[in-house]
Amino acid sequence: MALADGAAKLTVQNLSAFYGGTRAIEDINLEIPDRKVTAIIGPSGCGKSTLIRCLNRMHETTPKARVEGRVLLDGEDLYRLDATLVRRRVGMVFQKPNPFATMSIYNNVTAPLRFNGRPSREVMDQAVIRSLKHAALWDEVKDRIDAAATSLSGGQQQRLCIARALAADPEVLLMDEPCSALDPIATAKIEELIRQLKTDYTQVIVTHNMQQAARVSDYTAFLYLGKLVEFGPTEDLFERPKERLTESYITGRFG
Amino acid sequence: MKFDRAVRRKIFSHGMTVASGLAIVAIMVPLASVIYEAIVQGGSVFNLAFFTQGIPYPCSPRAGVVCQQGGIEPAIQGTFILVGLASLYSVPLGVGAAIFAVEYGSERGIARIIGMAADVLAGVPSIVVGAFIYALVLLYDPAIVFSTISGSLALAVIMVPIVTRTTEEALRTVPNSVREAALALGISRWKTSVRIVLVSALPGVLTGVLLAVARAAGEAAPLLLVCNGLRSFSGFNNVVAAVPIMMFTFATTPYQNWINLAWGGALFLLVLILGLSLASRYVLNRMARRMRGG
Amino acid sequence: MNEDPLADTGVPRGYDLQVRHLKDRAVKMGNWALAMVHDGWRAYDQGDLAAAQTVLDRDTQLDRFDEDMEHAAIAFLVLRQPTAVDLRTAAGLLKSTTHLDRIGRLGFDMARITTPGAGTEPSELKSLLQRMDEIVESMVRQAIDALDRDQAELARQLFLRDDSIDRMHREANQMILEGLGKDPSSNRRLAGDLLVARHFERIADNACKVGEKTIYALTGQRRSEYLPRHPFRPYMLETPRKPAGDGDPR
Repeated sequence: MALADGAAKLTVQNLSAFYGGTRAIEDINLEIPDRKVTAIIGPSGCGKSTLIRCLNRMHETTPKARVEGRVLLDGEDLYRLDATLVRRRVGMVFQKPNPFATMSIYNNVTAPLRFNGRPSREVMDQAVIRSLKHAALWDEVKDRIDAAATSLSGGQQQRLCIARALAADPEVLLMDEPCSALDPIATAKIEELIRQLKTDYTQVIVTHNMQQAARVSDYTAFLYLGKLVEFGPTEDLFERPKERLTESYITGRFG
Repeated sequence: MKFDRAVRRKIFSHGMTVASGLAIVAIMVPLASVIYEAIVQGGSVFNLAFFTQGIPYPCSPRAGVVCQQGGIEPAIQGTFILVGLASLYSVPLGVGAAIFAVEYGSERGIARIIGMAADVLAGVPSIVVGAFIYALVLLYDPAIVFSTISGSLALAVIMVPIVTRTTEEALRTVPNSVREAALALGISRWKTSVRIVLVSALPGVLTGVLLAVARAAGEAAPLLLVCNGLRSFSGFNNVVAAVPIMMFTFATTPYQNWINLAWGGALFLLVLILGLSLASRYVLNRMARRMRGG
Repeated sequence: MNEDPLADTGVPRGYDLQVRHLKDRAVKMGNWALAMVHDGWRAYDQGDLAAAQTVLDRDTQLDRFDEDMEHAAIAFLVLRQPTAVDLRTAAGLLKSTTHLDRIGRLGFDMARITTPGAGTEPSELKSLLQRMDEIVESMVRQAIDALDRDQAELARQLFLRDDSIDRMHREANQMILEGLGKDPSSNRRLAGDLLVARHFERIADNACKVGEKTIYALTGQRRSEYLPRHPFRPYMLETPRKPAGDGDPR
C-alpha cells in the first residue's frame, strides 16, 4: 500500500511472524510515513502487538519466536543489522509504564546513555532536561529529579518512560497501547505529547481505542486475524472505509 | 443430621488447630534446648580471650594445677579464610550459572538442567563432597591434598548450589517488563542481565550468599577429610584450623578446658548462623524498601 | 472469533435502532413539508385564503421538527461517536433537515402569496405550473423514499428530473415575460406566478440535495464525484418561444 505524500520511514515487506509453529501475522506490506503518526487498530489477538514488536526486533526476544520477510528503515533491512543498534534507532514505550524501579528519575532518563557509553555529567544533565521537556514532564519533576521513579503517578511514569526512550535519540517511536493503563486526564496529556512529537519523530501507535486512533493519528492500519485489511489516511478510513470488514469493525458491528 | 455435621466440623477444626500448635511446640523444643545448652555450657568461655588467644595445652582442673582456658583464635581465623576463599570461587560461579540459566537458557531447557544439577548437588552428603575433592586434588597434585586450598574447594562445592538456586529465584522474581524496558532502549543482552536485572535482584542474591556462608561455616565433614588441623594459617598448601573441626576434636577429649572451648565454638557457630540469617533478612528488607522508593 | 464478522446476526443493535429513529424523524418531517407544498400550491392556484391559512399554521410544527431532528442527530454524534456509514448518515440527515425545512417554507411562501379569487381561468401557464407541481411533489416523495429505504439509485434519478424542472421554469418565465405587458389587471397574478415558478425550481433543487445526502450516506461520494458541472445559462433572456409539444429548447 503506497503513500501519497512524503517518504516512507519504515517499509514492511511480506512480513510474517511466528511464535513457534503458530503464525501471528501474515504477509504484511506496509509503509510507515516519516514524521507522522500511524495507528494500528484491530480486535484483540489480531496481531497488532506482534507487528509493532517486529519493527524494533523485540519480537525475537520471546522464546521460539521468528520472523519472515523484511523491515526496511530508511531503506536498510533491520534484520541484517545488529539488533541492539536497531533498538536505539527505533524506541518503544510499553502498555504498562515500566520505569526502572531501582533508579531515580534522573538515572532512568540517562539509562540509555549510561549503559551504552560513558557520557559526561554535562551531557547527561542536558539530555535529562531536554528529554523531560520533550516529554512534557520537566515542570512537574524538576525539583525532585533524584527521587525514586516509583514515586510518580501512573501517567507521570509513562511520560518518564517516553522521556527515557527519547533520551536514546531514536528516529522512530513505537507505542504499544501506551494509555491503556492510564486515566483520561493522563491519556489526554500523552495524546497531546504525541502531537507535539510529530515534528521530530515518526510514531507508530497500537491502540484498541478507535477514538484515540482517530484523534491522534494521520494514518491508520486495520489488522484482522493477522492480515492487513486496510491502510490509509485516518480521516478517509474513518469516514469512508474501502473494505466492508473495516467498516464492520469501526462501526462496532463486531469485535 | 445437619446439626451433627456442623458440630463434627467444628470439633475437627479445633482439633486441627490444637494439633498444629503442638507440632510447632514439638519443633521449637529441640531448637530451644540446643540454644539453651550452648548458651549455658559455652557462655562461660565467651569472652575476648576466646577470640584472641591461641589454643591452650589440654588440661583438666586438678588439685594444684591451674588450667589455661585460652581461646580458639586460629580456628576462627581459619574459618574466615576457608569460607572467604570458598565464597570467592562459589559466588561468581553460582551467580553466573543462575544468570545463564534464567536470562539465556530458558528456551533450550538449560535452565531446567542447571536447576536440577544444583538441586542434586545440594543433596550430596558433605562428606562425599570432601571425598570428591580429595580424589580430584590427588590427581592434580598429591602434595596439597590436605590443605587450605582443598578445604576451601570443598566448601565452595557446598556453597555453589545454594547460591545458584537462590540467585535463580531472585532473578525470576524480577518482572519481564524490566528486561523488555532495557532491551527496548538498545541495551545489550548481557548488560541487561548483569547491570540491570541482577542489580534489581541484589537483595535476594545477597541473602542467598549469606545463607551459603552460614552453611559453609558450620560444615565439619568435608574438612575432616581434606583440611583437618588445629594450627593457624601458614600457607595455602597447608591445613588450617576451623571451628567445626576444633569442636569435633576437642569435644571427644577428656580435657575440661578443651571441652569448654568446644561448647564455646558451638555457641559461636549458632550466633554466626543466627546473625547471618537476621542480617540477610534485614538487608533484604532495607534494600528492597529503598529500591521500591521508600 | 469463529463467526463471520460480516454476517448479519438478524438482531438489530441499539445503535442500528437509533439510526432508524433518526431516519424516521426525517421521513416524518419530509412528509410534513411535502404536505405544505401540496396544500400551499393548491391554495394559491385556487385563490383559497382559508386553505392558505391552514398551511401557514403548520409553520410552527415544521420548526419543531427541525429542532428535534438537529437535537437527535447531535445527541447521536456525541454519545455514539459513530464512524463510516453511521457518521455519514447522521451528518447527512443533519443537513437534510435544512433542505426539508426549506421545502416546507417554500410551500408556506406559496400559501402566503395567495390572492383570493385570482387566476381561476385555465391557461397554458396555469397547466404548466400544475405540471411543475406534480413533478416537484413526486421528486420530494422520491427523495424521502430514497432516504427511508437506503436507495442510492432512486436518489440518483432525481437529478434527471431536476433538469426537466429547469426547462419548465425557463418556459414559465418566458410566458410570464410575454404576458406582463399585455393586460395590467393580470400583472398581480403574473407576478405571483413568477414567484411560484421559482419556488418550484427551488423545491426541486432542495429535493435533489436531500438525494445527494442519501447518496453520500450510502456510498461516501460527494456530488462533484458523480455529477458533471452544469453550464448555467441566465434565466431571463429573451428567446423566441417554441410552440408547446416541441423538443427541448436547450
